[in-house]
Amino acid sequence: MAPVAEIRNIALGHPGLTLFRGLSMDIERGATLAVLGANGAGKSTFIKMLLGLVEPVSGRLTWPDGPPRDIGYLAQMTEFDRRFPLRVRDLAAMGAWKGFGLRGRLDRATRDRVDAALEAAGVLNIADQSLHTLSGGQLQRALFARVIMQDADLILLDEPFAAVDQNTEAHLLSIIDHWRTEGRAVVLVVHDLSSVLDHCSHALLLGAETASFGAVDAVLTPERLVAQNYLSASQAAWMFRPAEPDAAHV
Amino acid sequence: MFELFAEMWSFAFMRRAFVATTVLSASVAPVGAFLVLRRLSLAGEAMAHAITPGVVIGFVTAGLSVASLLIGGLIAGVGVAILTAFLARKTILRSDASLASLYLIALAVGIFILSAAGSAVPLKSFLFGSILGIDDASLILVGAVATITLVTFAVLLRPLIVSTCDPVFFEAQTRRPWLIEQAFMLLLVLNLIAAFKTLGTLMAVGLMILPATSARYWSSTITGQLGLGFLIALASCWIGLTLSYLLPETPSGPAIVLTAGGFFIISAVFGPLGFGGRLRRQGRQNTTPIPQTPQKERHQ
Repeated sequence: MAPVAEIRNIALGHPGLTLFRGLSMDIERGATLAVLGANGAGKSTFIKMLLGLVEPVSGRLTWPDGPPRDIGYLAQMTEFDRRFPLRVRDLAAMGAWKGFGLRGRLDRATRDRVDAALEAAGVLNIADQSLHTLSGGQLQRALFARVIMQDADLILLDEPFAAVDQNTEAHLLSIIDHWRTEGRAVVLVVHDLSSVLDHCSHALLLGAETASFGAVDAVLTPERLVAQNYLSASQAAWMFRPAEPDAAHV
Repeated sequence: MFELFAEMWSFAFMRRAFVATTVLSASVAPVGAFLVLRRLSLAGEAMAHAITPGVVIGFVTAGLSVASLLIGGLIAGVGVAILTAFLARKTILRSDASLASLYLIALAVGIFILSAAGSAVPLKSFLFGSILGIDDASLILVGAVATITLVTFAVLLRPLIVSTCDPVFFEAQTRRPWLIEQAFMLLLVLNLIAAFKTLGTLMAVGLMILPATSARYWSSTITGQLGLGFLIALASCWIGLTLSYLLPETPSGPAIVLTAGGFFIISAVFGPLGFGGRLRRQGRQNTTPIPQTPQKERHQ
């Protein structure tokens, strides 16, 4: 099966500044790709390139099956207006707004889809609450429901776990796992080396003007993390230290 | 009382004023609601000043006609809107700073030309409008702007909601996100021009912002915000016009905006999303009995 996207020898940057160059990779269906890098390494710029909001400095991005009808997208929460007068179900429905036409009310099938998305995200019980009354975790679940409504083959999530508790993170990760079983490709900007990586099949490490792509274990080695300025040598030594024998068995 | 209203209604200029402000309310309410929601309340005020030089130049060259008002105001307003967007996209300045810089220049140019034209220009009608002197052409202008506004909102309501609530998501969803922004700015300029003749440059934005901010204290949905905003704008116009009739020295424009200001204060104090809601929530918390642990259990 053809990949969702093919990236060939791409360089990304701004005028006078190259973030990274020489990236070639495929985004496969059913893959979950973690994007890591220090601040300013180009993680969000990479996401924006996939969205078509940023042009690469060189190289090319192609869509073997044609440009996608829709790309599921969850931006960082800081860019969202939480005081906007909408209910949770309206926010979820927003994921499919392009297909609604001009009529005021949604049809029965769409309303059922919205309910199913809210149920899957665990916010059906607060579907009629206003956005400004939600906690950070509840809002992130509602935004996941919107991504579900987008029903896209490619899903981009920019730091989705930055402000949520452990329970919410576990629930949202189960949704990401489900997307993988459905054959959707998920690209996920990850803030740190956490258990989130256990749910990812591939990793893209950005930093030091280079980009490393491959299986998670192959990319996130201490040497590479230090070389690409993601960790200092002492941090890497501590994080990747040999496991100590369990004190109970000593 | 009834006789007083019958007497007021018997004057053609009062009937025209009621019709004009009713139509204007339907037009400016949705524009005001989205100005507030898009955090552009002050930009609306700035834009009202930005159209001044166009209107003044139109007046000086072609007299105080609807055509001169429309053409001059549109050129100035759209020009400032496009320049603002251009500066915000291509330079380090954000759009609020760009607009502030440009509207101040435009306002100074307007006042400069106004002063140079001397006493021929009725300054007071520029500042506060002349709602009681509305002619047929002005009524047609208000009606045409209201029609354009309501039809445009019917078509663009969903993209406007998405682009206002989550601009980054909207940008990722469409190839030309700036089209919505520019269409909205054009509607703003058109409505300012329509309101300019009736309420004047200083009061024009009042009828947009105050009903919208008042409605926000009562409604948690966009539909409620739009509907209630219209009703408050309408009530402000009717009450304000009646007040200015009953108190002959009261200028009608400020009377309308002051009435809208009254609605704003009432809404802020009593609205469920204002202080009223906060106090009610606190009251409920204070009166909720704290569960008492039975004495037996406490000693166990």
